[in-house]
Amino acid sequence: MDMFANLATGFGAAITPANLLFCLIGCLLGTLIGVLPGIGPIATIAMLLPITFGLDPLSSLIMLAGIYYGAQYGGSTTAILVNLPGETSSVITCIDGYQMARRGRAGAALTIAALGSFFAGCVGTLVIAAFAPVLAGFAEKFRSPEYFSLMLFGLVAAVVLAHGSVIKAVAMVILGLLFGLVGTDTQAGVTRFTFGVSELYDGIDFVPLAMGLFGFAEMMGNLEKRAEDRSQTQKIESLWPTREEAKLAVPAALRGTIIGSFLGILPGGGAVLASFASYTLEKKISKSRAMFGKGAVEGVAGPESANNAGAQTSFIPLLTLGIPSTPVMAVMVGAMMIQGIAPGTALLTERPTLFWGMIASMWVGNLMLVIINLPLIGLWVALLKVPYRLLFPCILILCCVGAYAVSSSTFLVIMMAGIALLGYTFNKLGCECAPFLLGFVLGPLMEENLRRSMVLSFGSPSIFVERPISLVLLLMSAALIAIIVLPSFRRTREDAFQE
Amino acid sequence: MLRVKSPQDFWAGVLFICFGALALYLGQSYAFGTVTRMGPGFLPTVLAWIVVGLGAIIVVRGMAVDGTAIARGQLRPQFFILLAIVLFGLLIERVGLAPTIFIVTLVASMASTEIRWKEAVALGVGAAIFSVLLFIKLLGQAMPAWAWSF
Repeated sequence: MDMFANLATGFGAAITPANLLFCLIGCLLGTLIGVLPGIGPIATIAMLLPITFGLDPLSSLIMLAGIYYGAQYGGSTTAILVNLPGETSSVITCIDGYQMARRGRAGAALTIAALGSFFAGCVGTLVIAAFAPVLAGFAEKFRSPEYFSLMLFGLVAAVVLAHGSVIKAVAMVILGLLFGLVGTDTQAGVTRFTFGVSELYDGIDFVPLAMGLFGFAEMMGNLEKRAEDRSQTQKIESLWPTREEAKLAVPAALRGTIIGSFLGILPGGGAVLASFASYTLEKKISKSRAMFGKGAVEGVAGPESANNAGAQTSFIPLLTLGIPSTPVMAVMVGAMMIQGIAPGTALLTERPTLFWGMIASMWVGNLMLVIINLPLIGLWVALLKVPYRLLFPCILILCCVGAYAVSSSTFLVIMMAGIALLGYTFNKLGCECAPFLLGFVLGPLMEENLRRSMVLSFGSPSIFVERPISLVLLLMSAALIAIIVLPSFRRTREDAFQE
Repeated sequence: MLRVKSPQDFWAGVLFICFGALALYLGQSYAFGTVTRMGPGFLPTVLAWIVVGLGAIIVVRGMAVDGTAIARGQLRPQFFILLAIVLFGLLIERVGLAPTIFIVTLVASMASTEIRWKEAVALGVGAAIFSVLLFIKLLGQAMPAWAWSF
């Protein structure tokens, strides 16, 4: 089989003692930062990016994979222990995970989440290995109009899945697109919105932007809360689920994995949709429906597996089309770009070792997560007890050094302070930054593809509906918009985001 | 009488309008081009108008529909966090990593009302040593541990 030969190449490249060590460090750090209340995966990855700068591309990708899974798992840990979802996809985990923790079953919930995620991650990796080349072939049919429509779909999905007001989320996406256009216009060679600052000629740097909007804005928000509001931790009794719990968890994890693997491929927040869908399904087919919301094991196992499978397969649009479909993926693209890796079809054909090495490293990252995190759950709980007054200066330093290290520029550090203030203001005004970030990353890409499409069609926008793939993507976007307008979905969405 | 019913929405809308207007003002010199041959000003202008439009709708909604009040902010955390970041930017090339980290840690610690001075100093020293080891020795970042250039 071709797929296994390819995977073997990947594992050959990925598994060296040094790379395993990097993956281990990445995973540890990712969990370490991700487990801190109020710091979600986006902020975690953005903060830890600078650590991977000095490494060669494959090692840095492997470390990133470790950070990525660590951050994701760290998010679930805080969801379960302190009822704080790190990102949208762990909102669902909060519902029953936190209730389990309150009944003293936090250890079991964390173990179920870790094992379910690992299983889902393995399946997800196989799905990527099997389908990525196929989809890459499909992606070769993509021209500018298709790319444009695909990105539009991703943005629409980001809006649908954002918290709170839809119209504010739309405005944030558009504002993000505008921020993305800062810098030199590659086609006309004109610099835009740069105020003559040479550091802005290549656009606003991604690292200080992400750290300012997420890391610092959240930090300032956290400092305003009184100590007792921040987190309360529970005692952890036993790590292992009981036989009954396991019996409920295993089939739920299987179903979650299948749902997640499929929905994750859809560009635009597949992982989030997957955890929602899985929870709904589990609730529907459960014999003891009353348990949901009061600590149902399936309510943790299903969505956590679905979430992770989806997180895994959402790499497919990124790897084959080069388009980040979720804000977290946008951060990953930023990281790859820094390493000089442009994700997309060319990666598979031109640098197969790197491509397959990366896929192998995802699996390694997943494995690391289980190996190191199960014994360390106690440590993460202890970490939640470290006073915040000691933690946040360390986080601040990490971000500052990171922003400076991007290009040894003090301008970027000062700019980050400005962006932090902006992010804080957005949070205060109930405007979510995740759609903004996705818009920011997609801004230049969308502009380029829009221009090319218009040149192709001599200025006629009908090109987007005349090409079948593009039409399908636009119809999917329209369907998503229709769904938001539907009252029943609105209610579910509002319920889900109630915290 | 017009009254702001949802301060969050109202001010968010105002912020969007300001950003849009700023983009329109700065972008007026960029060539707009035609739909077929879009100039560098085409998309910025279109997007800026959309932002202004959405901002206006949000402002109107903020006056018409009841909504969330803006949670009271505190000056202290913001001031010291922002000051710490700016200080890092100003100091790093002048005095080097170790002294910068020490100073920045102390300033940042002041952002919290729970600060304990002895603890903060110890944290500053520890963070300085750890950063030099991690970023300079281990990761080989190009920045001096010590410097003196004003």
